Amino acid sequence: LSDRAARSLLAAGALAGLTIASYLTIVHFQGGVPVCATNGCEIVQQSRYAALVGVPVALLGTFTFGVLLLSSALRKPIAVVGAAGLALVAVLFAGYLVYVQLVVLDAVCMWCVASDALTAVVAAAAWLRVRHALT
Amino acid sequence: VRGYLDPVKRRSGTVLVAVVVAVAVLVAGAFVAVSAVQGDSSTKARPTSPTSAQKSLFAGIQQHGIVLGSPNAPVTLVEFADLQCPYCGEFARNALPQIVQDYVRSGRVKVAFQGLAFLGPQSQTALRAVLAAGGQNRAWDLLDGLYARQGAENSGWVTQKLLREVGGAAPGLNVTQMLRQSDSTSVTRQLRDAERSASQAGVDGTPTFFVGRSGGPLQRVALTTLTAAALRPALDAALQG
Repeated sequence: LSDRAARSLLAAGALAGLTIASYLTIVHFQGGVPVCATNGCEIVQQSRYAALVGVPVALLGTFTFGVLLLSSALRKPIAVVGAAGLALVAVLFAGYLVYVQLVVLDAVCMWCVASDALTAVVAAAAWLRVRHALT
Repeated sequence: VRGYLDPVKRRSGTVLVAVVVAVAVLVAGAFVAVSAVQGDSSTKARPTSPTSAQKSLFAGIQQHGIVLGSPNAPVTLVEFADLQCPYCGEFARNALPQIVQDYVRSGRVKVAFQGLAFLGPQSQTALRAVLAAGGQNRAWDLLDGLYARQGAENSGWVTQKLLREVGGAAPGLNVTQMLRQSDSTSVTRQLRDAERSASQAGVDGTPTFFVGRSGGPLQRVALTTLTAAALRPALDAALQG
């Protein structure tokens, strides 16, 4: 995959993730429940795992996807590697959140899973860019 | 030119990547650790201000003794709970606000609190204060405030200072009167009544919920999770029945 293709993938994935995370953040602050095919969204959103030290996980996702979207426009190696580092943090934490949904809460929030999958896509694209930037 | 970076730059790039990966793994590990600790701790106070929570949660909703909601609500939800029970606290913090917003505020459901004190003397101290606040129709404000600041079982968290603070945040509650009434025979009688009701209903743990049409027989609800979503089917069924 060329750097251009990786950048496009990163931008598209981050934009989609930003949209979902923004929606979940708005729902969180409005105190409502996301539109959901199952009732898993409400269980996940209202669980103790939906916030980290009082900060909604959805807001963290919004910030992360926003930064990664901006990084897709940057070409400096330090920016590319920094974005990949952030994406790695995000994908590791997303993996943990998937575990929490499946094992701890026994409830799946489709928006969260979509966001987690996009995080994996974005992380892969970010690290492809590192490969291009450092070779 | 790509692929022809000199060995020094290539090596510094590899070091940079290694450092970034190591930092990222450490940060992600810290996030997971904090989240896991939050998830496991069921006895910690919630971070939000109990005062603001009380005002927003019950504002404009009728309270009559231990009952929250319109007396004419077609459906009744009864909760047997101990104020020191971590799961009761979890339900109060995570699920009750949604139930209040979706069912109680609209006048469709009323919630009756049946307090038990089987976890120790601190349970009884807290429960007596709640029942005394019920004499002023402010039991739910005190309940919410106490669950918000719930401590470990019998750790000494139910102090007079705490009761005064939580009571002071309850709108319209005379705290001095509440504390005076907490040892009254009326409160003692309510304690005994709740114990008797729990025994008759076969309550063997807390929280335990019963739902049904108001004035009719109530059905025990087995919850798989302490969330509003888990309680919804029973409430919806009762409302349609």
